[in-house]
Amino acid sequence: MLAIASVKGIKPYQSSAWRITIIFSALVTLIIGTLLFGMYRQLMNEQELQTDQHLASEKARYQQMALTLDRRSFGIQVKTADPDTALVVWRNSFDLVGALSLIPDDMPLLPQTREFPILTGGPDKLHILTGGLVITRYGPVLIATRTDQLGTLIERFVNVAITALMLTIVLTLALGYLFSKAILRRLVQYNRLSRLIEKGEYSTRLPVSWRQDEFDMLAGKFNGVLDTLENNLTAVRGATDNIAHDLRTPLSHLRIGLEQLPDKTSQELPEACAILTEELDHCLATFDAMLSLTRIEEGQQTLELQDLSIKDMCEDLFEMAEAMAELNQQTLLLSTGEDIKVTGDKYLLFQALFNLVDNAIKYAGDGATIEIVQAGREIQIRDNGPGIPYEAKDKVFERLVRLDPSRHNKGTGLGLSLVKAILVRHNAKVTLSDNQPGLVVRINF
Amino acid sequence: MKILLVEDDVTTIEYVVKGFIEQGHNIETASDGHQGLLLATSMNYDLVILDRMLPQLDGLKLLAALRATGSQTPVLILSALSHVDERVKGLRAGGDDYMTKPFAFSELLVRAEKLMQRGLSQPTETKLSVGNLVMELLTRKVTLDGSELMLQPKEFQLLKYLMEHPNQVVSRTLLFEAVWDYHFDPRTNVIDVHIAKLRRKFEELGFGELIETVRGAGYRLREGH
Repeated sequence: MLAIASVKGIKPYQSSAWRITIIFSALVTLIIGTLLFGMYRQLMNEQELQTDQHLASEKARYQQMALTLDRRSFGIQVKTADPDTALVVWRNSFDLVGALSLIPDDMPLLPQTREFPILTGGPDKLHILTGGLVITRYGPVLIATRTDQLGTLIERFVNVAITALMLTIVLTLALGYLFSKAILRRLVQYNRLSRLIEKGEYSTRLPVSWRQDEFDMLAGKFNGVLDTLENNLTAVRGATDNIAHDLRTPLSHLRIGLEQLPDKTSQELPEACAILTEELDHCLATFDAMLSLTRIEEGQQTLELQDLSIKDMCEDLFEMAEAMAELNQQTLLLSTGEDIKVTGDKYLLFQALFNLVDNAIKYAGDGATIEIVQAGREIQIRDNGPGIPYEAKDKVFERLVRLDPSRHNKGTGLGLSLVKAILVRHNAKVTLSDNQPGLVVRINF
Repeated sequence: MKILLVEDDVTTIEYVVKGFIEQGHNIETASDGHQGLLLATSMNYDLVILDRMLPQLDGLKLLAALRATGSQTPVLILSALSHVDERVKGLRAGGDDYMTKPFAFSELLVRAEKLMQRGLSQPTETKLSVGNLVMELLTRKVTLDGSELMLQPKEFQLLKYLMEHPNQVVSRTLLFEAVWDYHFDPRTNVIDVHIAKLRRKFEELGFGELIETVRGAGYRLREGH
């Protein structure tokens, strides 16, 4: 009860689907993050490589110029250098010539570079430059290039990456939440129905959709279990009514008889006691039959297996039942074929076969012909009596079912159930069919 | 004959003891497994009637212990466990016969006497006779008051069993087991039908009343006049 109550009140974030979502979104975030980081590294390397190559070519150009041009022309070249290509500063003996008004201290020699900030008068006051020194025959020249656009690029890239990651996380979590909710909706429905069943509404069934997904499979299986359970419950209910009838009737006879005993004369007494004993024996027999039926059905009874001849059993059967048939002016016929050995419990199997023949004799009516036919692994018990209605064919094997509603004929109503249970334990098949008129019981080993 | 009854249910004890004393047997009782084993191993009995469910020592364990001492005393097991496999278990443990509770004393008596006679060396009989009924076992010839009866094999076996227990009530179960080698309660009139056929043959000779039906118990073969 407690478990069910807590399942019913479960929030989507408590569900296993949500846990899976969390793990899934963490994984996706990690993968996307790794990818973005990789891209970032690649981009950075590419940019640095380009800057280095650019500075290297500028270095070569100025070294070449220093060798080929005179001091003055070199100064002009430095002064008129295009600031978009490179910022160049030359320190001659007197002052600084070029785009910048200073050369920072401890600048490395190219191809080593260093980043350094400069202040300008423009709107973006602070700029980041990357550069290094070149030693020419006219003195050191600083060659630098602006790399702060690169910084902006990196900054944008990082912003975009973070946004992308956030979006991924939010989206996966939102989808996961909806997803768990959808699953939970079905589970909560199942739970609600289970509680109805628990309350005793055994006709409740779980919905099965056309999708045939795992939930539908579960629901289908569950419904199957419910079908069996409901059938068993109905059977038990029916059996209880029948037990009440089958045991209460002889028991109430007993009670009446016992009450009347003191009034009996000593001549009547032995007869009266004998009648009561018979009633009691009938109760005990019904009771025993129920117990052994349960034991055989549930496989608790160990079979005493041995090799048996079907033919011999049929012959014994005939010998035992012939006189019984004679009593009802019935003809009992036996025909046997090839002798086949089966492995089984002699007493139980014979009991099953005997029950079937006994039933035929009891119900086929006076003057009927009953045949025991053995051919190979099949035994048939045929009669030309009234037979049984088609729709009762499966019902007769149920416990305590008797087609005679008045239960007039003395019997336990367990005979055929016992027959079936015994044959099932022996992996034999029993089928009923129409003999036109009459009944054919076929047993296949 | 000296019998030991190992049983803890007072009603059953009284019922069985009274019955055997009336039949002229000497019977002692033990009401638990230990006492039962002690008596069974220290005294000489012709038969032990043993309940399966006993306080202190289970009936089957008692039986196993008794057999382990080399005792050959016949043991009849009484039990409320009626399933065929319980019966097999009991017989495997060394029991000689098995009866299910509730039981009729007449049946217990027949079974008990059969077990007790087994120990005695009897001359192998070739002829049974009860009153004016004579059965030649070797030639399978049966005569009643001098006239020969034509019997079918099963009728012969039924009559033989009845003649072995004259004037005793023989239950349907006993007759069923004696004639057919199957152990189950047929819950039907199979024995009655065969007895009826036998009786009809007796009637033809004017002795129909020799086989008597005892309601609620079975049949009795009476010694003719």
